Amino acid sequence: MSDAARVNDSPPMAMSLAYALPTHEREGQIFWRLRVLMVRAHLRFLFHHARLRTSLVIGLSLFFWIGLFVLFYKGFDFVIRYVDTPGSRYHADVMLFVFPLFFLSLQVMLIFSSGIILYGGLYPSRETEYLMTLPVRDERLVYYRFQEAVLFSSWGFFLLASPMLLAYGLVTKAPWYYYAYLLPLMASFAYIPCSLGAICCLLLIYRLPQARRIAVGAIALAIIVIAYHSIWKTLEFSESEFLGNAWFKETLRRFRFAREEWLPSTWLSNALIEAVRRSHNNPRDLPWLAAGKYFVVLVSNALVLHLAVIWTGRRLFRPSYWELHSRRAKKPKLTLAWVDVAAGWLLVGFPRQTRLLIMKDLRLFRRDPVQWSQFLIFFGLLLLYFANVDRFREHKGDINVMTWVNIVSFLNLAVVGLILSTFTTRFIYPLISLEGRRFWILSLLPVDRDTILWSKFLFAACGSWLPCAALVGISDVMLDVSIMVVAVHQLICLLLCLGLAGMAVGFGAMMPNFREQSPSKIAAGFGGTLNLVLSALYIMAVVLMTALPCHFYLLSGKTDLPPKLLQPEYLRFWLMLGIFASVVLAGIVTILPLRGGLKSFRRLEV
Amino acid sequence: MLRFDNVTRTYGSRVAVDHLTLSLERGELFALLGHNGAGKTTTIKMLVGLLKPSSGTIYVGPYDVTHNPREVSRLVGYVPDLPFLYDKLSGREFLRFVADMYGMPEAAAKEAVDREAERFQLKDFQDQLTESYSHGMRQRTVFAAAMIHQPDVLVVDEPMVGLDPHSIRLVKDLLKSYSQSGKIVLMSTHTLTVAEEIADRVGVMKSGKIVFEGKVEELRSSIPDAGQSLESLYLALMGEGEPSE
Repeated sequence: MSDAARVNDSPPMAMSLAYALPTHEREGQIFWRLRVLMVRAHLRFLFHHARLRTSLVIGLSLFFWIGLFVLFYKGFDFVIRYVDTPGSRYHADVMLFVFPLFFLSLQVMLIFSSGIILYGGLYPSRETEYLMTLPVRDERLVYYRFQEAVLFSSWGFFLLASPMLLAYGLVTKAPWYYYAYLLPLMASFAYIPCSLGAICCLLLIYRLPQARRIAVGAIALAIIVIAYHSIWKTLEFSESEFLGNAWFKETLRRFRFAREEWLPSTWLSNALIEAVRRSHNNPRDLPWLAAGKYFVVLVSNALVLHLAVIWTGRRLFRPSYWELHSRRAKKPKLTLAWVDVAAGWLLVGFPRQTRLLIMKDLRLFRRDPVQWSQFLIFFGLLLLYFANVDRFREHKGDINVMTWVNIVSFLNLAVVGLILSTFTTRFIYPLISLEGRRFWILSLLPVDRDTILWSKFLFAACGSWLPCAALVGISDVMLDVSIMVVAVHQLICLLLCLGLAGMAVGFGAMMPNFREQSPSKIAAGFGGTLNLVLSALYIMAVVLMTALPCHFYLLSGKTDLPPKLLQPEYLRFWLMLGIFASVVLAGIVTILPLRGGLKSFRRLEV
Repeated sequence: MLRFDNVTRTYGSRVAVDHLTLSLERGELFALLGHNGAGKTTTIKMLVGLLKPSSGTIYVGPYDVTHNPREVSRLVGYVPDLPFLYDKLSGREFLRFVADMYGMPEAAAKEAVDREAERFQLKDFQDQLTESYSHGMRQRTVFAAAMIHQPDVLVVDEPMVGLDPHSIRLVKDLLKSYSQSGKIVLMSTHTLTVAEEIADRVGVMKSGKIVFEGKVEELRSSIPDAGQSLESLYLALMGEGEPSE
């Protein structure tokens, strides 16, 4: 026995009882120290190993923020110019429509997102499981995970609300205290729905652990139906009434519920409107104080809810954890699904080995809800949007509308492509890296390595082409575009699917990461980021190369296009050239990465 | 010191642990054996406060695990079958975090971290981020964390899985000497040779019930025809006999 392993030097009294457990405050400090250490290590990693991804995330966030700021600035400028200035009744009416509705929507989203994030952090988490075996107070553990939930759920709120409120302050020439109030107001507001989400999460798991998904899904569905119905009712006015006086009044009345005095979104809206208002020489009229009163209401409610989260955590967390983990695990029935049967028929022309490998990847995809649920959500939202873009059809004869229809149809195509690129990066790019861990299975089989890679490519290209072509087709039908545009869109859609699949599979094989087991972490590495950036550039290039000639071609003959090169006969040539260039580019981005990937994959030693 | 008092745990209609009654005293190394799904991990999870018994009570010292999980965790050190570590902490930072959680003052925490790093031979890599550790390094770090407060009860779920021979030797010696120092070690394992070598008593679980509890010699005398090794005794107890050649 090694000396190092001997423990006979243990003190007679249990060491574990020799020290008093940490106080509440000390526990908090320990967790903060833990967080600081992890954040520091993570930042060091980002700086040394993920510069491209970090720069991209910061750059795109800045781009998004500035874009929103400009948009909101123009919008508020319009309101000030055409409605009225702060302090007037009309201004307050308009802003009390815009702000409460905006913040109420975010409030609902914050409740859901913080609840869902807290659930993920508390119940299925291995870290929580480990911490539960340490002498950590349950309420501290809940609060530790709740802090993360607040951060991860509210960053989007800050990214959206900060340019909006800054723009509002600048347009209205708000006094200095408006800016001083901004951050505390936003923080205290965000804390309220996040706390409510956390409490709902704990209560739901405590009372209905079996039906938690159904309950959340049903509530979310009910909210979506109500919101959709409200928006639909707002848009269903006839053309003559649309945006008229009656429409405004009816819309204000319809969304009155968003201005209820008990809603935190209303408190925040009132605080902002009061803070930008100027006092008209009335010493008793103190806008900063009026705004401050709403601020106090927000802060006091946030604090009460903070205590409620702690109390609920102490009382409910462990029993709810026990309850959730005492359910009998469901064993899914693994039968041959109709998808497999359909895929078997569709793939009948491919060699047997390729077909079997594609079927294997399809089954893995089908049985992993993380993959198809994200696919379903994003494509479902797009479908919802595409199904409602038909308002343009009423004004088809108008040249301006026609211009917009064409632009929107190509934008829709680009959006489908961009969403597809996130999926190919997130799910297709890591396929080879993940295969590496179980590569021994494939390497023992009489399967050529090229066949493995080709099967991945075919799986990605064919699997993405069907839903993308259907979505683009629906968009075109709803927009009622010409047959020529439909044909161009379908061709571009096919080129996008081939190119994006080629890049994801090729780069994935060229830059595999066999050490990492999490597909999201593989996708977040250098290769994944590069794949995403190049995919986005490819989409923009292909769409622009066909959208511009197509756009001018449709306008030719209907409006005056002075330059000779923009006359119909030349435009047909430009359109054909654009399509030809797109095909060439698609060929390059499909073949080159795949060839590189095949070379690397043949040489790979696992 | 450690007592399972008629403990039952069900998952829906399935009974995972069925009226388990078991007592462990100081200085004892107890090996829990059984097939997959026999109820070993459920038993351990109830002991460390991750599951609540459907009925019955578990006592660690004077404390009921269900009602005093925080007090019980001071007395228990737990090494799970899948070791958890914070990827973005070094081994030293992780051990320090655990020592702080047990309320150790600065000097004592530092001393405890050094002691466990020495005992588990972590010195060479304890300042690297744990994301770069091999399975054996991770397992040893988790062992060090579980023992940093010198718990009265050390609970280990499948300690030998994925370890190299050197680490297995280290862990076996440690578990044996730890129990000899007056502590309780409760270990669940499929490695019957290890159980035979170091355990003072074994408990064999089948479908949630303890079908045998006692010394290996007692098992030998209760099934005289089954052979000498714990493996053959275990298979005989499970009603599977000697495996065919």
